[in-house]
Amino acid sequence: MNNRHIVEMRNITKRFGTIVALRNVNFHVNENEIVGLVGDNGAGKSTLVKILAGVYAPDEGEIVIKGMRFKKLNPKLAYELGIVLIHQEYTLCDDHPIWRNVFMGRELTNKLGFLKINDMKKIAYQSLSQLGLFRMPVDTPVKYLSGGYKQGVQISRALVFEADLVILDEPTTALSITETQRVLEYVKELKNKGKSAIFISHNIYHVYPVADRFVILDKGNVIAEFNKKDLVPEDLTEIMISIARTGKIPEKYHELNLYRSTSSI
Amino acid sequence: MRKTFSRIEIAKQIIARYRLQLITTLILLVVWFTFSIINPAAFTNTFTYTSLMVVSPFTIIPALSLTLIIIAGEIDLSFSSIMALGPLITALTWQVMGEASFLGVLSGLIVGLGAGLLNGILVCKLGIPSLIATIGTMFLWRGVVLVITQGFGIPLGQYRNSAVFNALVGRVEGVPAQFLWAIGLAIILWLILNRHRFGAHIYYIGDNRTAAQMVGINIHKVLILIFAIHGLIAAFTGMINAFEMATFWPTLGDIYMLKSVAAVVVGGTPVTGGVGTIYGTFIGGLMLEFIEMGILAAGFTGFWIRLVHGLIIIIALAAQGILRRRELIRARIMRLITT
Repeated sequence: MNNRHIVEMRNITKRFGTIVALRNVNFHVNENEIVGLVGDNGAGKSTLVKILAGVYAPDEGEIVIKGMRFKKLNPKLAYELGIVLIHQEYTLCDDHPIWRNVFMGRELTNKLGFLKINDMKKIAYQSLSQLGLFRMPVDTPVKYLSGGYKQGVQISRALVFEADLVILDEPTTALSITETQRVLEYVKELKNKGKSAIFISHNIYHVYPVADRFVILDKGNVIAEFNKKDLVPEDLTEIMISIARTGKIPEKYHELNLYRSTSSI
Repeated sequence: MRKTFSRIEIAKQIIARYRLQLITTLILLVVWFTFSIINPAAFTNTFTYTSLMVVSPFTIIPALSLTLIIIAGEIDLSFSSIMALGPLITALTWQVMGEASFLGVLSGLIVGLGAGLLNGILVCKLGIPSLIATIGTMFLWRGVVLVITQGFGIPLGQYRNSAVFNALVGRVEGVPAQFLWAIGLAIILWLILNRHRFGAHIYYIGDNRTAAQMVGINIHKVLILIFAIHGLIAAFTGMINAFEMATFWPTLGDIYMLKSVAAVVVGGTPVTGGVGTIYGTFIGGLMLEFIEMGILAAGFTGFWIRLVHGLIIIIALAAQGILRRRELIRARIMRLITT
């Protein structure tokens, strides 16, 4: 596997007033890798990815994307660098049709800026069909779609624009079992197409099947990092419970923890 | 089976999408029909329709650009004052130059554009809510006009036969030029809103501002630009009004503020933003003017106008409210089906 980092975050610290949301966090994503970002509520998962998507500016640290170093990003810049954030609420326009949402912010136009509506509809339809989403016409307003379908629309947005890194912030929360399965299929599809992804979830059983590597955050610190091949889901659950109770990972997993070994060098 | 389902859905959605416009048009036809029965003589007379075309642009034109602002989830009340500021600058330029020139029109338009730009900057760069910011500038520009004119009107009758007057308020085959301007501007703004990237961004900003920001849309640029366009168009409307009356009045525009807002709302653009149509606004403005004319033609006093306007606004909003609630329920059901 190629271990080139497509994104690296170095010594990131973020404070909200007196609260330290992230403390000296190091984090990276390799090419064609799905990273499962897990941790309890308030661990700083969303804050970390929002910094990566340019929503928040970090107080300290730097972000390296494709060899370029940034003190901070903004949403437009992150989008142009191929980072797409997918979220249930804040990335779709509910009153607008599927095809417009797919092309939002990057509309296909002629030289005068007039929309190429038919082209966009066609590409949106093809892209959604690849994900098995052809039941609803692309003219359907997004508000008529179920949660899983909406995630699909956003994934196809990322695919159409050849995003390198797709961030899925709690994509399976509040979804039914079938829909969750479908979203996991989308994520696998991303991996098949050579993309990278960050998958955030509370639910170990949602992250485990798709992720290659797990990064565990707790109270603003990265405390552990594991390769998928070293663990079974039950181990991960055990680790999470231990962290919730004692703030530490159990002794027997110390050997497998990649984060400690890299930071001690 | 699947195919029939989606075809019916498409048909339903097309109707759903244009339902508000259909209803607005229907209300207009009902109003027209009612007045035609009450006073057949007036409503078979072309003079009635000519005068409708003379006065309705004063409400319709600023309502068109206001539609963009409301779709983006903002509001502008200061345009009523810009409607006076623009033509005042024109009239003053003409006084200095001694003739009716296009340069005067241009300077008035530029001042309108600048006033709109100021609104945009107050809202975007200083973060003042648009309702408050534009109430401020509304008083400011009205004050400027009143101080400069000392409350006196400026007669413009001597310029009546100039090329400027003909271009803005002349008659083309009996049709008032301002009505043609209204149609032209409606088409241009419709194209921008529905067929251009800029219009798409206006919709997204009103629908979900965070989402628009996340995909890299420059929200401030779009908002400042539509405030500026609105200022420009308000100044233009003010000129049409002053030229048509052949007099500049310092109170010009006052009565059009709420009427234009009402035209937008009656036309099916909710103040919550994200949706709305130029067509609806045009029909809405036409309807309000039509009612005004109909009431007078039917022999009622002008006192009835506000009452009927109020009724129509409430009826239109109630109908839209019911439609939206049904749509919400439909969306909920659809979401279950598509699971």
